[in-house]
Amino acid sequence: MVADPRRCEPSIRVQEAPFDAGAEQRALLAGRTDIGAVVCFTGLVRDFNECPEVTALTLEHYPGMTESALAHIVTEAEGRWALDGVRVIHRIGRLAPGDPIVLVAVASAHRRAAFEACDFIMDYLKTRAPFWKKEHASEGDYWVSERHSDHEDASRWKA
Amino acid sequence: MSLTHLNVRGEAHMVDVADKPESRREARASGRITMRPETLALLAEGGLPKGDVLATARIAGIQAAKRTHELIPLCHALALSKVAIDFTLDEVESCVEVTATCRLNGRTGVEMEALTAVSVACLTLYDMCKAVDKDMVIDAIRLDAKTGGKSGDYRRGEGVGGGEAAGETVVTGAEGLIVTGQGRGGQVAVGSRCDIASPCVRVKCLAELRERLGVGELSVPLSDLSRPDVGGLKAALKALDPRFAGLDEGRVMCAVNQVMAGDRTPITDDDEVAFFPPVTGG
Repeated sequence: MVADPRRCEPSIRVQEAPFDAGAEQRALLAGRTDIGAVVCFTGLVRDFNECPEVTALTLEHYPGMTESALAHIVTEAEGRWALDGVRVIHRIGRLAPGDPIVLVAVASAHRRAAFEACDFIMDYLKTRAPFWKKEHASEGDYWVSERHSDHEDASRWKA
Repeated sequence: MSLTHLNVRGEAHMVDVADKPESRREARASGRITMRPETLALLAEGGLPKGDVLATARIAGIQAAKRTHELIPLCHALALSKVAIDFTLDEVESCVEVTATCRLNGRTGVEMEALTAVSVACLTLYDMCKAVDKDMVIDAIRLDAKTGGKSGDYRRGEGVGGGEAAGETVVTGAEGLIVTGQGRGGQVAVGSRCDIASPCVRVKCLAELRERLGVGELSVPLSDLSRPDVGGLKAALKALDPRFAGLDEGRVMCAVNQVMAGDRTPITDDDEVAFFPPVTGG
């Protein structure tokens, strides 16, 4: 049985509004009985990072390039694993500790593909998608620096 | 040149002027209302049904200048130190010339206040005279001159440094408009396309880099590039403005037409070149 190809079209959104991870996962699976596994990752704003008391975060991005970079990452994941659906949402603007920032939901027939593809998309998103975080802490505002560990994580996927 | 009231996402925002130095700002704007000669004669004699037309229009203009921030969405509320409205009755052209001068010591220009004062004074003249003349035309509302502030002085008819459209280079940054080349005062253009007539490249600085360099968007003539690639553009930027030395500090990424690029990536007319720090999303 061939699934409706439109259902497999990845959904990529960059938005200020919050998202509901449960609703996104349900939408990804709606009407599908061929999916055996779904991995849904949500990234949240922490109240500690480079400074101990982060009160808020502002996310800037590069409109146009952001969407194409995310689409490129998802296409690469679809080339590596057999996926049945992908949803990526990244928020922009001002966020508070505890707010969800990013959602990556990946559906596949088997769990290994879903786990790995979700991990891969997050690693590549963190090192390749043009988003920048500015943290607002009690000591003042500062731009978050890149982390060496994020690049090490992304390099795991080099063929 | 880009619009300082648009942020990097193209959304309207009020420019933060807290860190701008205070300076004496003055702006003069003018406009005119043309009417039938009989109406002008009645106005001059004080024979119009609503009474003293010019005194009323003067008060209206002064009040309007003080309330500009309520009318123009992204204007700051300013404590004006002076608002003067002057009228010249021109019997040859059969019109009233309205001039407004606004002044303050502060961090933002007062041209919007002067333009608003002229506009509302003209509207009030219309209202005061419309019982006898509905054919009146308001026109030629414009900024005549402004002084003070980072974008430099402006006088209508003499662009900063000659005002030749081709070859100008205008840098905008967090602190507002900074004219570094032979920019022509009063010109604005949207950031989504080259704002100079000759072949050029659109440069954007994003996030921490934009704040560090104090530059958001600018257009650079292709003829300024010794080599038509990213490396040539960087050299041209550094020659243009010493702040661009910051492109060599820390890790700075580059994208040409929104695709990651390196120093050897070629550049052609109307390309969009973005410089930004390493990404930190997710």
